[in-house]
Amino acid sequence: MQNNQETLLKVEHLCQYFKMEGGELKAVDDVSFDIKKGEVFGLVGESGCGKTTTGRSIIKLYNITSGNVIFKGIRIAAGKRSYQEAIKKAQEDYKAAVKANPTDAEKLKAEMEKTVAEQKAQMKAAISDQKNCDKEYARQQVAAVKKKYEALLEKADASEKAKLNAEYKNELRKARNTKLVTQIQMIFQDPIASLDPRMTVREIIAEGLVIQGEKDNAVIDQKVHEMLELVGLVREHASRYPHEFSGGQRQRIGVARSVIMNPDLIIADEPVSALDVSVQAQVINLLNELRQKFGLTILFIAHDLSVVKYFSDRIGVMYFGKMVELATSDELFAHPLHPYTKSLLSAIPLPDPIYEKQRQRITYNPLVEHDYSVDKPSFREITPGHFVQCNDAEFARYQQELK
Amino acid sequence: METKLQVRDLRISFRTTNGKVQAVRGIDFDLNKGETLAIVGESGSGKSVTSKAILGIQAANAITESGEIIYDGKDLLKISEEDFHKIRGDKIAMIFQDPMSSLNPIVKIGRQLTEAMLLKGKARQRESKLNFNTYLKSLNTAMVAALAENDKAKAEKLTAMCKNFDKFEFKHIELESAYNTAHEAAVETLEDIQDLTFQLEKNSTKDFTDRLGDIVTQAKATVNEYVVKKDAQRIKPLADSIRDLWSKAKKTRDYQALLQALYQLRDILQEAVAQPVPNFFRMGYYITFSGKPLPDMPVEELNAYLKEYLDKEFMLEFMDNARAALRYTAEKSYANMELAVKAMEQALPVFAKETLDKKACQETYKTLDAAVKATIDPLNIVKDSLTYTFSPSLKSELDIYFKAIRANEKAVKVYEQDKKKHDRLVARGKNPDWEVAAAAVTDLELVKSNIAHLLQRQMEHYQELLQSRNDRDYNAQALAAIDYLMTNASGVVAKVTRRIAKSRAIKLMDEVGIAEPHKRYNQYPFEFSGGMRQRIVIAIALAANPDILICDEPTTALDVTIQSQILELINKLKAERQLSVIFITHDLGVVANMADRVAVMYAGKIVEYGTAEDLFYHAAHPYTWALLSSMPDLDTNEKLEAIPGTPPNMIYPPVGDAFAPRNKYAMQIDFERQPPMFQISDTHFAATWLLHPDAPKIDPPKVIQDRIARMESKRRTGNAE
Repeated sequence: MQNNQETLLKVEHLCQYFKMEGGELKAVDDVSFDIKKGEVFGLVGESGCGKTTTGRSIIKLYNITSGNVIFKGIRIAAGKRSYQEAIKKAQEDYKAAVKANPTDAEKLKAEMEKTVAEQKAQMKAAISDQKNCDKEYARQQVAAVKKKYEALLEKADASEKAKLNAEYKNELRKARNTKLVTQIQMIFQDPIASLDPRMTVREIIAEGLVIQGEKDNAVIDQKVHEMLELVGLVREHASRYPHEFSGGQRQRIGVARSVIMNPDLIIADEPVSALDVSVQAQVINLLNELRQKFGLTILFIAHDLSVVKYFSDRIGVMYFGKMVELATSDELFAHPLHPYTKSLLSAIPLPDPIYEKQRQRITYNPLVEHDYSVDKPSFREITPGHFVQCNDAEFARYQQELK
Repeated sequence: METKLQVRDLRISFRTTNGKVQAVRGIDFDLNKGETLAIVGESGSGKSVTSKAILGIQAANAITESGEIIYDGKDLLKISEEDFHKIRGDKIAMIFQDPMSSLNPIVKIGRQLTEAMLLKGKARQRESKLNFNTYLKSLNTAMVAALAENDKAKAEKLTAMCKNFDKFEFKHIELESAYNTAHEAAVETLEDIQDLTFQLEKNSTKDFTDRLGDIVTQAKATVNEYVVKKDAQRIKPLADSIRDLWSKAKKTRDYQALLQALYQLRDILQEAVAQPVPNFFRMGYYITFSGKPLPDMPVEELNAYLKEYLDKEFMLEFMDNARAALRYTAEKSYANMELAVKAMEQALPVFAKETLDKKACQETYKTLDAAVKATIDPLNIVKDSLTYTFSPSLKSELDIYFKAIRANEKAVKVYEQDKKKHDRLVARGKNPDWEVAAAAVTDLELVKSNIAHLLQRQMEHYQELLQSRNDRDYNAQALAAIDYLMTNASGVVAKVTRRIAKSRAIKLMDEVGIAEPHKRYNQYPFEFSGGMRQRIVIAIALAANPDILICDEPTTALDVTIQSQILELINKLKAERQLSVIFITHDLGVVANMADRVAVMYAGKIVEYGTAEDLFYHAAHPYTWALLSSMPDLDTNEKLEAIPGTPPNMIYPPVGDAFAPRNKYAMQIDFERQPPMFQISDTHFAATWLLHPDAPKIDPPKVIQDRIARMESKRRTGNAE
């Protein structure tokens, strides 16, 4: 475990519900994990289990229902459902308590009102964080730029001043437009669908810079060329259109587009699932190189377990919106505890015909495996760094198993 | 082993604005019954093109340059679109890569699933009837010719016998049809009841009203002489009471009474389903000809009694006659084969001339066509594909030749004009931005050699058959013939009604792992997620119960658990239905799981071909090595060895081995000449110069060797446990 490392992203009790006909769909339900700086965190699970939704909630493509997402120590997303529920519960408790004990009504009411006020204050803070986290960050950036240039301007003589002033203005504009979320970038699954067919590669890669306020074409060109070379393409490719590239090259463009923003965290949503084996290897090697070069942190979402195992330091397994197991990748593959993880691992096809013809898949049926009618499950640490969703009885059994 | 599909020297190109792209460049493979052949390669290697050619759905700009795809006595490259309708989807089905493109967005899933079943159900009935009638007729003719050449009375007797066969078959159809309907209803109801009681025990009553309605109507349909007989009086009131019980239970939320009624119904049906199946074929004869009612005895005894009766009265004699008829037609066919071989020997020089004479060729074609057709044994159930496809193949080759003579002249003329134009521009000092396209000339010599090869192969085929003529077992054949007639008669019975189609579709949806199939049945494709859509597509492909299933990367977009389920499903169906599967993928783990044999394709050619064990443990081609070492497994820690570069541009296919530029083991000769297929073992072939006796000995990359050693040690410890 890399305990001493700085935590880059912290996800606390993340819930993402969608309104559906006849109720709510709990796409992500109470998921917590954190990602250390410089590590690759793998997220696996079957389709529809909420991996992608988790990724998208982190990057604020959805407004989360409940929970917190804390990036570099700043809360970038927060939901209000938990506070609402707490208020509701306090009020109901109060009603019940008054019925039982009418004499203490005054005291109980004061207590209830206190909790409600507390929760309301927290909710307000959450809403303001959700809305204004970027502003706060931009303000910091602007202050930093101001400090730097004012010092420079004081020292500079008249001839340099004009040039510096222009630069200062440019930087200031960029700082104002900076969003914290741009430090998180995403690579999408389908390289064909995620590139605009009417834009040239240069436009696609530079789009983020342009939105941020970069207007100097020379700078943009230089950066785009740098990126193209970094991902193994050549300068001449900048003027071409996406359809002129093969699948692997397109995915490289997608990588270049996200790396140009100089992000701290990349959310790679099944970046190799749609690619051929040989190309898949190229893209994974590329991501590995970038990771070593820039110390990138990657949230790697995929369903190919061999690739996840190869690429990730730690792996979280999701099942129907819940995180069921989280451990370092070697630990997870060597000692899977949760029955769903076991079933998942038993389904991996390996390039070994004799083994394959004998392989028995373990099926997972939550109704059969767990009895949660009385003893509710929660996410607990069995051994340091190895978490499993379990109840008390299972907790004891899992600990026994690992001994 | 029976060969289902043969692909011979298939070459397919695409006409594009930049030139001719040679997508498939001469591939050969066989597909046996009940076997899975995996085709592996990068995108653009021609795997999908091959599979589309088998299904006859090539793009409009595709040119089939040469080759044969032989299935069930037909060359799929030469049959008409009309004939293809009978094969596509019914006999050969395909699961496509992109599920959304194979579903109709504005038709509900249920309709799409049952559509094929309903349509094909009718077509199958018609086909079975036709098969039955034609076969019986030819059997009759052969019997008469064999046994009663000049004996009119005997001939009449034989004809009457065949007519009788027809008559009691008809009765048999009637009985079996009624039985099937009732039996199927009983099985379905039983399954439904089990589902519902399970749900009730868990206190859930989702879509109960509809499903109970289904049960009521179906339960009533189970009353039949041989299904629900004893309890026939009980079942109707019981079924009717269920509706009332449900409406009461809905209000009171007390389901005990309903459960009890369902249990009763279940017990009755369980007993009914467990009964042995009577032999309707024999029963049909007894009812039609004995003039007596069926003796009242248990089904097993009845079956034995009827067998004895039928054998004595009819079957033994009929079998003798059939055997004689089979021997007669076979002998005739052998005699004709000898004649055909002679005719071909005479024809060879006609097709070997410098330039072929159209009139002589056509006449020779006519004689050969007649000679070959005469060798076809109408009573042989297994169709001899080579003989059936001989005439159409010869005709199409001749057509190509005589059309090409004129077309070639024209092409050369066009080329010369273009060249002149180009030269003129160059002479004026201009630098034209276009190049002169090479003349699209058909190689006449190639066509001639194809014809010679066709004749030679057919002659060899006849020689083989003639040599094995004494090994033929007419007794087994006669049994097979009667079996064939019976199966086809049953085929006429297998009626697919809307109700049966629905329940089958729901069962199929359940089998492919779609939760709540009853609800999902009435939804539109867009309401499903990607994985779910793919399952629907697989269910549709399987609905028609095909002979050959082509899977074009069916699980690439799915996650492991579902992938594993789908693969298991395909494997299970393969074993159950003796399905032959062509599995196209680039995931070698999946190949190891599915494939009996593997063909590795690169740049339109098969570069390595062998059993799964050959390929994974003794791979010989550098491309296979590269593929194997570029995928991580669970123990990989080192850097992955990606294959450098990209596949070649197939407008200008490389002269030598197409993989040479990306191959770190490439030798000089790899760039100059194409390697032939070297045989490594009985089942294992590879096209690489490394296998040439003079080539340096190169071991496979360390990654692969390590992996094989690791897998082996793992297996050993695994087995020891």
